[in-house]
Amino acid sequence: MTNLASSEAALSSATRTADDRPGLLLAMRTMFLALVLAIWQGSVAIGWADAAFVSTPLGVAQSLGQLIRSGELLPNLGTTIIEIALAFVASVAFGVASAVVLDRNNWLDRIVSPFLTALNSMPRIALGPLFILWFGIGPASKIVLAFSLGYFIMLLSTLGGLKNVDRDLLLMSRLFGASELRLFRYVRLPWALPGIFAGLKLTLIYCSAGAVIGEMIAAKSGLGLLVQTFSGRFDVAGVLALILIVAIMVMTLTSLMELVERRLLAWSKGSTDVPG
Amino acid sequence: MVSSAARAPTNDSAHIRARGVAVNFGRGARAVLSGVDLEVTKGEFVALIGASGCGKTTLLNVIAGLVPASRGTVEIAKRAPSAGRDDICYILARDALLPWRTVRGNVEYGLQLSHVGREERARRAANYIEKVGLQNYRDFYPSGLSQGMRQRVSLARAFAVERQIYLMDEPFSALDSQTKLVLHDQLLGLWETSHATVVFVTHDIGEAITLADRVVVMSKRGTGVAEEILIDLPRPRSAEALQADARYHDLYRRTWTCLKASTQ
Repeated sequence: MTNLASSEAALSSATRTADDRPGLLLAMRTMFLALVLAIWQGSVAIGWADAAFVSTPLGVAQSLGQLIRSGELLPNLGTTIIEIALAFVASVAFGVASAVVLDRNNWLDRIVSPFLTALNSMPRIALGPLFILWFGIGPASKIVLAFSLGYFIMLLSTLGGLKNVDRDLLLMSRLFGASELRLFRYVRLPWALPGIFAGLKLTLIYCSAGAVIGEMIAAKSGLGLLVQTFSGRFDVAGVLALILIVAIMVMTLTSLMELVERRLLAWSKGSTDVPG
Repeated sequence: MVSSAARAPTNDSAHIRARGVAVNFGRGARAVLSGVDLEVTKGEFVALIGASGCGKTTLLNVIAGLVPASRGTVEIAKRAPSAGRDDICYILARDALLPWRTVRGNVEYGLQLSHVGREERARRAANYIEKVGLQNYRDFYPSGLSQGMRQRVSLARAFAVERQIYLMDEPFSALDSQTKLVLHDQLLGLWETSHATVVFVTHDIGEAITLADRVVVMSKRGTGVAEEILIDLPRPRSAEALQADARYHDLYRRTWTCLKASTQ
């Protein structure tokens, strides 16, 4: 019986996964990327696709270089990052706080939950022009738009985690004399943590989309404004270069979060996946 | 029904005393328990057995203060029952380990909730982890342990808080019979040094006889105690050695007959 844990470990290592071969995995990923880029570049070169519509990897790289050299990128990137950061922090703070309140207060939860569902069902992007009207052309309207997306994701993923907490763990803790505060700190919060982490990653993605789309509607500065400008000029390479920048930024931050998550959630196997 | 009060005269050393306890779930619903008397002496190990639905877990929950008695009185150490009392420890059927804490962290959890200081916590946890033979698994998470090992962690967590009364609700029901014997010996080891009063609910006759000083057979329809069997097997006992003991099998037959009679 005492050998069970070790024999289980042996069993799981018997099937070799990609995690056991990080070097090989990286090499295969590089090859995959190179293949996609080669097909893209090649199909334009032999005339299957029109560079005016799809651009080329080299064209995107040139646009990227030009954006950086012209000094156009940094101030706009700065605006967008600040908007995303503020919307993200507000979404997390208010989302988690609301979830805790709703979890502890059944009546309030039952009263407001249909309204929350209704609000969350609204296409927030379509509200974008209204937010510009209400909060001006500056960063505030973009932060509100991004927050309106991120808040609900954070609220629902935290509430989901808090609601399905194992009743036996609560009962056991109460019988040992745990106070409500300790129940929250030692049982509810750790139980909800995987859900919170899944929410954090999704919230970041949606806040980024909200900020950039808000800037595309009307703005004085930001990556979305640049996207709009380049689209107007039919500069496909420029648009793709900007989107690449946003993608790399979000990916970097998500990876950082996964690093923290893996340390905090070492007890649960694997990290939470971002759905959708 | 024979009134247990007639057979077990009131004594002052009674640690747990239930008199005429009745429990109804819901308004006007049928009684789960009615007129139940039970007395447990300080330091005594009592096993409650009975057919499913006889209300043995309900009676345990009344003692634990989890279920209010609709009629009758319950006194534990001369006080009314209440959940979370600092002299009672309840062991659930499921191990209820925190999955994000290691074996050490889980054993320390009960101590932490009992406001034991950090150093004392670590010392006692190490001691009790060794008592249940898990010193090599101190830093394992519950997901890496077998069911039997997890239940041993649960026992260590419970006995580390060193309370006077232990209430157990079929803690070994999910284990195979081999593992059960190991756990019985460990529970006996922990209990014998603790001098605690134990009420142990089970539907396993062998388990009840192996562990208890007295087996209380509850009647089928929750109308109280049908029969009591004194288990005069000498201590310290070994669960495995008892399997070959003629007296054990004799008690088993007697308890079986009582249990069968109680269900008619």
